[in-house]
Amino acid sequence: MSLIKELRYSLHVAVRPFDGYWDLKYENKGRLRVALLVLFAVTVTMIVKRQYAGYVVNDNYPLSLNSINEFKYIVLPFLLWCIANWSLTTLMDGEGKFKDILIATGYAMLPLILVNIPNILLSNVITLRESSFYYLLDSFGMLWFVWLLFIGTKTVHQYSVFKTISTMLLTLVVMGVVIFLGLLFFSLIQQIISFGYTLYQEITLRE
Amino acid sequence: MRVKSWLIVLAASLLIAGIGTNQAHAAPYEGYTYNYWGNAVKSPIAFLPSRVITGEEAGTGTWQSPLDIYAAKDGLLYVLDSGNARIVVLNDKWETVRVIQQFEHGGKQDSFLNPEGLFVTEAGQIYVADTENKRIVELNQDGTFVRAIGAPESDVLSETFEYFPRKVIVDKAGRIYVVGRGVYEGLIEFDSDGRFTGFMGTNRVQFDPVDLFWKTVSTKEQREKMIRFIPLEFNNADVDDGGFIYTTTADKNTTSAVKRLNPSGIDVLRVNGEFAPVGDLSMNRSSFIDIKVSSNGVYRALDSTRGRVFTYNEDGNLLYVIGQLGNQVGTFKNPVAVESHGDAIYVLDRDLGRITEFKATTFGSLVNEANRLYSSGKHTEAAKLWEEVLRLDANYEMAYVGIGKSMLREGKYKEAMTYLKLGNDREYYSKALAKYRREYMREYFGMYMTIAIGLLIGVIAWRRITRAKNERRIGDVAN
Repeated sequence: MSLIKELRYSLHVAVRPFDGYWDLKYENKGRLRVALLVLFAVTVTMIVKRQYAGYVVNDNYPLSLNSINEFKYIVLPFLLWCIANWSLTTLMDGEGKFKDILIATGYAMLPLILVNIPNILLSNVITLRESSFYYLLDSFGMLWFVWLLFIGTKTVHQYSVFKTISTMLLTLVVMGVVIFLGLLFFSLIQQIISFGYTLYQEITLRE
Repeated sequence: MRVKSWLIVLAASLLIAGIGTNQAHAAPYEGYTYNYWGNAVKSPIAFLPSRVITGEEAGTGTWQSPLDIYAAKDGLLYVLDSGNARIVVLNDKWETVRVIQQFEHGGKQDSFLNPEGLFVTEAGQIYVADTENKRIVELNQDGTFVRAIGAPESDVLSETFEYFPRKVIVDKAGRIYVVGRGVYEGLIEFDSDGRFTGFMGTNRVQFDPVDLFWKTVSTKEQREKMIRFIPLEFNNADVDDGGFIYTTTADKNTTSAVKRLNPSGIDVLRVNGEFAPVGDLSMNRSSFIDIKVSSNGVYRALDSTRGRVFTYNEDGNLLYVIGQLGNQVGTFKNPVAVESHGDAIYVLDRDLGRITEFKATTFGSLVNEANRLYSSGKHTEAAKLWEEVLRLDANYEMAYVGIGKSMLREGKYKEAMTYLKLGNDREYYSKALAKYRREYMREYFGMYMTIAIGLLIGVIAWRRITRAKNERRIGDVAN
């Protein structure tokens, strides 16, 4: 399947998620490169949105904008979600492999691009009074994304509706735990290094 | 010989050059304003210290912890020398005109006891908050006694109510408003005959949701040991020409440190900008201890945390900041009162017992004048001055907004959008955008529609042609 065909298929997933995700997993139509491409495109859209969304709805301080930040807000949460979801579902009889989760999550993010690009263009010609349309579209994109993520998780792991919802919520908790452990780890490493450095100083400065 | 004369010429030219670069009197503080995102941005200094006076220089002996000053409409400056229980009156040349120490009251000589507040009406009547004597004293301009207004008497007051008047103001109708020590019900209001009529303009109770949670789960004994939620007391007040009362509250957490009370005691202060007038937006916030309303809604509040005077216009936009704590002329040790008269600002320092006068610089008078025209609706005239302001300070957001609004009125929507964006006024930017959009569409709608219809026809035609070709080809193949 060529890349163009794969991208057209990702559109099919966004519009008909039940059918799309089924084929994604069981007909092997999902491609990791498409998922990563979507992730990359979402990052780019977000950067563009922060910079070029209409002035009326754009409250960002221009000097504080930094494209590297988007990795913190998009790429890192994406990976964290996949890892947390994978570690949780392996314990909860999920059928999805790590690659399946990556693909499902990546495809689910497509609406963010589909909605954001016209929304950025629209935001440049709307006034303050019409800005609620912008926010409406924005939340619509977000809801669409969550909907796809829900269907994706459900199909990939072959869960019931209730189990899917609880798994998704638990994944959020696990994400928090992972962040906590990460911070703890770095803090401890930092303390060990500073301890070692102090020790080194004590020894070298002693004559 | 040649060399020597050259050297003389060189030295002379250096000397002249030195005189030529006559430096402006360096200010002991920096000028700044806050931008839309709450960052302090450097700005030219708007007011510079011009002269300073102490008790010795006024010929009255040292002022002992003076607590209040009042600049009357006729240019006289009244100093309340609290430690010496007297009032010193200075004229505009800063010569002592009068000292009011004692007055005849009911056949006996009477005097003040630690007075804290002073107010002079337009007719020249002097009102003194005679704190330790628990009364307000009214004197004629020459210092003769008129009347004393004692503690308020009413059933609504509790038995334990203690009356220590700290500040006093009188409105045009002769109503007297008193700021009492530890009185959190608001301003104590007396009618023109000196009868107590009630409290006005209470501060809202402020509490922390966390505190509230602990309070609900704790026992009665624990509750009694906790801090009580009571509203904060006002610490100073001033009245403007329209009869609105401006009050200050020394609270670092509130966003309504300054209030503008209408006659029924409701806060009607206008806050147009992103931040309410609270002084510095840093972690250690300002705490206002005095306020002075000058003409056309401009008010100045004195901050005791850093000794700065913040000047706001009637929309609540910060115009400029002057002063600071320090040891130089133009800085203060313990500022307690701010006054203004004409284009001068006076700040009273309690610990040093001196008054510093500030005069507007070119920048300051430009801003004042531009703001005056702007607030009286003369946007076009104001815009010219705002441009001058921008020449001195390209970061002055209000100037961009002023120019933008004037352009909006003149119908230059595109330019207005640029200026309003620089001034960060989204509301007016949006208005300009709406107008510009309409104008743009009126001009180009025909063109866009022509292109759209043209494209549509083109597509249809192209389809028909290709279909016809295909049919012919199919026909050919069939043949």
